[in-house]
Amino acid sequence: MSTLPNPFRRTPIAHAAPASAPHTRIHAARDPYLLRPLPGEDLRIEFKTINNSRLVREPDPQARGACWSAIAAGALCVVLLGGALVPRLLNTLEGYKLEALRVENRRLLDERRNLELLEAELTAPQRLQELAKHQNMVVPQSGQVVHLNTPASGDATVAMLP
Amino acid sequence: MGQRRLLTLAGIAAFWAAVVLYHLISLQVFHHRYYVQLARQHQEVPIEVPAPRGTLFDRNGQTLAMSVPTESVYVNPLKLPDLGMAADLLGRVLHLDRAQLFATLKQAYDDHRGYLLIKHRVDFQEAENLRGLAFDWIGVQHESQRHYPKGDLAAHVLGGVDFSETGTSGVERALEQDLHGVPGEMRLVTDVKGRGIESQLAKPARPGAAITLTIDERIQFVAERELEAAVIEHHAFAGSLVAMNPQNGEVLAMASYPTYDPNQALQGNDPRRINHAVSLPFEPGSVFKVITLSAALETTDLKPDSPINCHGGAFTLPGRVIHDSHAGLGIIPMADVLARSSNSGAVEIGSHVGPENLYKYVRRFGFGQKTGIELKEENRGRVWPFNRWRKTSWASVSMGQEVGVTTLQLAQAAAVVANGGFLIHPHLVLKKNDKPVPVAPPVRILQPDNAILMRSMMEGVVVLPYGTGRRARLDGYSVGGKTGSAQIFDTQTKHYTHSYNGTFMGFAPLTNPALVVVVTLNGTHGEGGFGGVVAAPVFHAVASEALRVMEVPRDLPDDKPHTLVAVAANMDDLADPDRADTDNVLADDDDDAPDAQVAAPSGPTVPNFKGMNMRAVLAQAAEMGITVLPAGSGIARVQNPPAGTPLYEGERIRVQFVR
Repeated sequence: MSTLPNPFRRTPIAHAAPASAPHTRIHAARDPYLLRPLPGEDLRIEFKTINNSRLVREPDPQARGACWSAIAAGALCVVLLGGALVPRLLNTLEGYKLEALRVENRRLLDERRNLELLEAELTAPQRLQELAKHQNMVVPQSGQVVHLNTPASGDATVAMLP
Repeated sequence: MGQRRLLTLAGIAAFWAAVVLYHLISLQVFHHRYYVQLARQHQEVPIEVPAPRGTLFDRNGQTLAMSVPTESVYVNPLKLPDLGMAADLLGRVLHLDRAQLFATLKQAYDDHRGYLLIKHRVDFQEAENLRGLAFDWIGVQHESQRHYPKGDLAAHVLGGVDFSETGTSGVERALEQDLHGVPGEMRLVTDVKGRGIESQLAKPARPGAAITLTIDERIQFVAERELEAAVIEHHAFAGSLVAMNPQNGEVLAMASYPTYDPNQALQGNDPRRINHAVSLPFEPGSVFKVITLSAALETTDLKPDSPINCHGGAFTLPGRVIHDSHAGLGIIPMADVLARSSNSGAVEIGSHVGPENLYKYVRRFGFGQKTGIELKEENRGRVWPFNRWRKTSWASVSMGQEVGVTTLQLAQAAAVVANGGFLIHPHLVLKKNDKPVPVAPPVRILQPDNAILMRSMMEGVVVLPYGTGRRARLDGYSVGGKTGSAQIFDTQTKHYTHSYNGTFMGFAPLTNPALVVVVTLNGTHGEGGFGGVVAAPVFHAVASEALRVMEVPRDLPDDKPHTLVAVAANMDDLADPDRADTDNVLADDDDDAPDAQVAAPSGPTVPNFKGMNMRAVLAQAAEMGITVLPAGSGIARVQNPPAGTPLYEGERIRVQFVR
């Protein structure tokens, strides 16, 4: 206990230090062989245990209402603020999605045009003729053509030609 | 003392509040627009809404020309924060060589250029990556590139565009107003990372109209293929072909050779880009006799069997004598004048018609004026004004000289005969944005009975054994036509050469023509370059394929009249010189080969439907348990197979009804 610095020395109030101690220090400082005091050596922190268990708060009939009013006001502020900010926030978030979808839409339209172009190139008569030649296909002779699902003319239903 | 301090503090607070209020009002009220604009400049990005040039389709919805949007990246070198950093960044994102890019950027910076195109046609991801960077010195701009996916197919009809996608020829040029798209603009609000939050349409885009042409790419392909083969085979320098529906003027195919690929950039005055079908008039020669004979039927008492004196093949006029190549024709029926293509006979008929009537009918048939087709390159041809005709001009015009016509004008004239006497207006545009394009109503210029007489006479050109157009015969279809072989006039020597414009104009089937085809080969040589030799086979190939594609019912039985082959015929001036070697499609034994493998017919015998209305035909067919394929309306005129023929099991009977 004696090794503890003075500021952390727990001293009950009942055993307070003698009043002559500072004077001893002063006298010691005058002693040329005495070490100079540490900073804050002369400070003391007193701890006192206070027992408020017997104290009773006087009942305040308006405190409860004031408390609820404060809570309600706070809640109202939050709701109003939320009502004002949340739609804006949602709007911004939806805006991000919408713009992303627009970009996607444009990209898909461009892709579709490119695919249409590719399809047109693939179905070019010249290319089809080359392919047909490689596979030994020929233009059907007259009389070899079979028309399926030919549109009906008049009342007649037509399926195929000879 | 304390109150005084409070008053001082309140005064200071009030002053401070007043200053803040003043600034607030200044910002929010007086300079509101300025700061809103300033904020927008930081937050909003203008985005171009692309409006691609209109797509060109054929009549079946096949794409013939379309624009594909692309994007290009550019920078403002004057705003570059650091050349090295910019070269690093752009090189990495756009996959470009860093060193080369740095040199280019430095050069542009040194030249104080405010715009430098970095890369054309970047892909979507590259463009998005650069947009995300949101640097004010990088820009991505929309571009559009015109593609012709079918290559050189219908190149002369479609034409082409220049670097700014403005039409330079063909339909692209004629319909520039409709095809050209006007891009719109959108204001995009972005966050600090350049991501879009909200956009507003500042200016709506107006895309170019989708144009559906009357062209059928299948017929067009066959037309170009056959024309090219004929031009090469007969060493002609050019050729043109027009296939048209004679009832409504829809041009199904328009071919010109030599041709080009419109995907290639335009370089100078490339002669291959000339559309010979509409741009270069030529002397038609004997095909023009159709006009002379039509005028004769309309204005004189001459009939197909009226005797015409061919003067032994030499017609003497004041100052000149007109010869047939083969002398010896005396007095022959007018129909034979057409079938044999006698020049002296045509001049004799022209003398009956008279110059004034002849001029009137030449003009009525549409010669010397534009047809109005949607091609700005169209030439009106050449018909001298009547007051400038010389003494013998009527004779020249009677046999197709001293006039200049285009292949399209000949198709228009042939359509008059084919459709019963109406001058129709050839056109190339079927729909604009899926809305049908109105067509000018036809004008009657021939009486119906005279048109039918002309049809029968033109059938003789193809059917008669001495007809000059026998190579145009079609399997299963009746054909009418006329050949023409006009010597090309050399403007330098002022003489006619032995090079020809070989022409054939014809239509099929005869009963209700669905197709007119006119073929011209320019610069054929010698007798082998006559129209009946060089152009009629092209007609045969194209018309056969076109009628098959168009599903036109046949009006002739498949049986071949072998007798036609054996009949000897005289050669006239423009008849086929090597007729003996001509392949007669009606006598082609190869076509009979598949029939031999077919089992013998076991069905009922075909009844005779001729003269019956559709209801009666269908009732009788139903009664007999056979199926009829009717075409047209009115009274049954033609049927195939013919009456009395035993049917194969499941075989159908095609019946053509005519009013």
